[in-house]
Amino acid sequence: MKTSKFFISALFCLTLMTSCSSDDDNPIPINPEELITDVTLTFTNTANSADTVVLYSDAPDGQDGASSESVTGSFTSGATYALTLEILNTSETPADDVLNDDIIPEADEHFITYAVNGLNLTMTRDANDIDGPNGSKLGVNTTWSVGAASTGNLQIVLTHEPTSTDDSDGFGTVTGGSEDLIITFNNVEIQ
Amino acid sequence: MKSIIIGLVIAVSSFSYSQNCTYIFLGELKDFHDGTPIESATIYQKENDRYSFSDLNGKFKIENLCAGTLTLVISHANCETKTVSFEINSDTFKTILIEHHIEELKEVSVTAHIDKKETTTAQETVLKANTLKKYSALNLGDALKEVSGVSSINTGNSIVKPMINGMHSSRLLILNNNVRLQDQEWGIEHAPNVDINSADQISVIKGSGALAFGGDAVGGVIVINPSRIIRRDTLYGRTIIGGQSNGRGYNISSTLNKSYKSGWFANIQGSLKQNGDFKAPDYNLTNTGLKSQAFTVSAGKKKFESGFEVYYSYLNNEIGILGASHIGSTFDLVRAINSDEPNLIRDFSYDINAPKQDITHHLVKASYYKRFQKFGKVNLQYDYQNNQRFEFDVRIGETRNIPAIDLKLQTHTLLADVNLDADLDRKINFGIMGRFQDNFANPATEVRRLIPDYEKYDFGAYTTTEWQISEDLIVDAGIRYDFNRIDAKKFYLKSRWEERGYDMDFSDIIIEELPTQLLTNPIFNYHNISASAGVKYNFNDRSYIIANYALSSRPPNVSELFSDGLHHSAARFELGDLRFDKEIANRVSASYAYNGTTFNLLTEVFYNNIKDYMYLRPFDFILTNRGPFPLWQYQQTNAQLFGVDVTATYDVSNALQWQNKTAFIKGYDLKTDLPLIDMPSFNTTNQITYSNEAWYNFSARLKSDLVFEQNEFPDFNFEIEDELTGDMILVDISTPPPAYHLLHFSSEATFEINKKTNLNVAIAVNNIFNTSYRNYLNRLRYYADDLGRNITLQLQLNY
Repeated sequence: MKTSKFFISALFCLTLMTSCSSDDDNPIPINPEELITDVTLTFTNTANSADTVVLYSDAPDGQDGASSESVTGSFTSGATYALTLEILNTSETPADDVLNDDIIPEADEHFITYAVNGLNLTMTRDANDIDGPNGSKLGVNTTWSVGAASTGNLQIVLTHEPTSTDDSDGFGTVTGGSEDLIITFNNVEIQ
Repeated sequence: MKSIIIGLVIAVSSFSYSQNCTYIFLGELKDFHDGTPIESATIYQKENDRYSFSDLNGKFKIENLCAGTLTLVISHANCETKTVSFEINSDTFKTILIEHHIEELKEVSVTAHIDKKETTTAQETVLKANTLKKYSALNLGDALKEVSGVSSINTGNSIVKPMINGMHSSRLLILNNNVRLQDQEWGIEHAPNVDINSADQISVIKGSGALAFGGDAVGGVIVINPSRIIRRDTLYGRTIIGGQSNGRGYNISSTLNKSYKSGWFANIQGSLKQNGDFKAPDYNLTNTGLKSQAFTVSAGKKKFESGFEVYYSYLNNEIGILGASHIGSTFDLVRAINSDEPNLIRDFSYDINAPKQDITHHLVKASYYKRFQKFGKVNLQYDYQNNQRFEFDVRIGETRNIPAIDLKLQTHTLLADVNLDADLDRKINFGIMGRFQDNFANPATEVRRLIPDYEKYDFGAYTTTEWQISEDLIVDAGIRYDFNRIDAKKFYLKSRWEERGYDMDFSDIIIEELPTQLLTNPIFNYHNISASAGVKYNFNDRSYIIANYALSSRPPNVSELFSDGLHHSAARFELGDLRFDKEIANRVSASYAYNGTTFNLLTEVFYNNIKDYMYLRPFDFILTNRGPFPLWQYQQTNAQLFGVDVTATYDVSNALQWQNKTAFIKGYDLKTDLPLIDMPSFNTTNQITYSNEAWYNFSARLKSDLVFEQNEFPDFNFEIEDELTGDMILVDISTPPPAYHLLHFSSEATFEINKKTNLNVAIAVNNIFNTSYRNYLNRLRYYADDLGRNITLQLQLNY
């Protein structure tokens, strides 16, 4: 019958179609660009470049996985330290410098704040710090003054597109936006 | 048979004058479908202005005929009137087939007053053009809430997913002009890609009773039909223009239908809508604009015996998502929950920025049917759908303008279906379906794929039958088998692969190893059996009862299997599970309907027991360089849902009508003994309508929506540690918002401009008192209030 012929040919078409379009090409892997894997805060004593404190956060899968933090060295009471910040994506080869390639060129949309708990640390944003949003300093070039011996936590937060920013106390405060980094280093010591 | 028809159509032509008026015409009237004789039909002879009637055997006799043309007009209570002509030059015997059972054969019926239902014993509600036009500026999900027991799960105001008896997404099956919508419906923020203006009638079927459409509709089926073709020479159309105060929106929609008596037809329809930022009572909802364009074209030929249709529809939606809902960490979420106002409020704008969605859906369909005498109707259909989904996130650097999600889903489907209606008391329907689907996740996003590349093959076969046991008793039953095969290529981070224990169970599917990732090739096959059986009994003309049992089986969808990553707007990781098997639902339902002269009542009850019900719940934590994040996992459990939906109307007087719709539903996880998440709370709607047909068909209604607080919810709240201070912070994601009451007003009138043209003017005020409220089933309820007052004006021109 005419109908059954139509039907059989239709089924045949479907089989043909499916067998033709199933290609065996494998999808290509994706290594996200904006990923942040390594964050390093290197504090260097302005009077003694051998005296450093290194706070390091390692997240091999970036925001997709767990991170681990380490603290190397301790602050010297009464000294002044300059902070060098490094934010990398090491899942790419060579590693992608997220701070210099992405964040600083868009400094007007980013703001870095710091906080301490239990630690006698104060900080200022340097005159040569990069201009951030709303007349604030971004928080990349900073100087830290160390007080009496103590042990506590230090936190760095990178906020994207904040609504308002305030850097009057150095550490900085922010409202709105979304946080790209919140890393807390525990058991930081001042001796 | 065809020759008969051709013979009948011969025009009045040659007249041969003869004095011989002694010929006899013997006629026999038979039903087209089953060949049964048609008795008591009226046969009118045009030339002689005489009447005769068919006897018990469908036969009739006309004597003393002159040579020449004989034109007979045959009419019968249940038949379409048929006119036939014969050339008489001798004694003649003819069998004339007529289309009996016009009421039962919905294809022939053009009466607008009859609810054309898709099912007999399922809980089905039909929404017609008159109701749908009120939602011209809104979404499918908004319109379906006209049905008691149907709610919606929203992401803001423009992404509205219908929810039937507590079920949504993959548990609902949406058919648009007989094509099963394949538009990545698994995602909770993926609204159905349908322009409500292209629909003339929508059937909402609770439960999976409609097996011809699929066996996995654990929640229900939504059948959207365009306007039916009228077989006569006509040209008609409709244009709707509307404006809304909230969001400063406008919408235009226009339809034009052309049809011919010969059966040829063509339709074209287009819609355009746009709005800027909506407004909650106290603030602007920044970045909630929408731009939507849609059109459909169709053409074909529709005759009683055969017909075909080609159909194409296009839809593009660009939808802004509340700016304040873009968050980076769980701390951001806590701040949003604890704050009364969204953290981002800007002045009104039509601009749509990230986060936003941009979705394009193409649907092409070609169908053909042919009816065979004493057999039934055969339908064939091929359809192709192309769904392109872009989701733009707030990104930095060079990726700023690149979507974070870029998925293209293409689907080909072939359907063949046979309706045996030779015996109208024992209707049988059977068919098969073949489908191929290809999903491509574009790597250009530079974001790890949320949904992997995959190919999917489906095959289905079903049969349903309907028996009219007696005048008052109808029984129906059906069974369906579906085979699904999914063949995916997915990358897993090595850390995740091991954490999920896949290295123990699935090491054989790894096809490539990279430094931090594994490429795997999961292939899963699922065999599904679904069935349904039901009965409808008419107590009398005024009341009936229906009872239905449905078994449905739903294989896991791609997000339940493969999800693996951070869901930004929810600030959580979502993890699927490769080990899932299908979920199986057993649903029983019963309805009682009473239709009196002034009082109408429809009560629907259901109980749905779902084995291996898949749902997402918090499970663990992960400490990332953005702080702590909750890990949500898809789980399989056993669930039960039950509820009652009531619709009642009472005519207080001729002009005044009261209507109530009430829905009550409960859902529980039987393994953990917790209530199910995202269940609609008890809600009741009361409406008073005043109408006066004499005064330009004027009507005015006042509607009250009362939504109670959901008092039964799973407490998935958790605490996160502020690592700096060591404080524990409660993240209250579970507590539902309080009850609310909204009042709406609407009014309309229709003015006749000329014989063929009328203008309908409708004005409405939604949320009259500008009440601030949040809805438990809106996923953005953590961030902002729902819409404030909205005044709308709509003009509809019918021509």
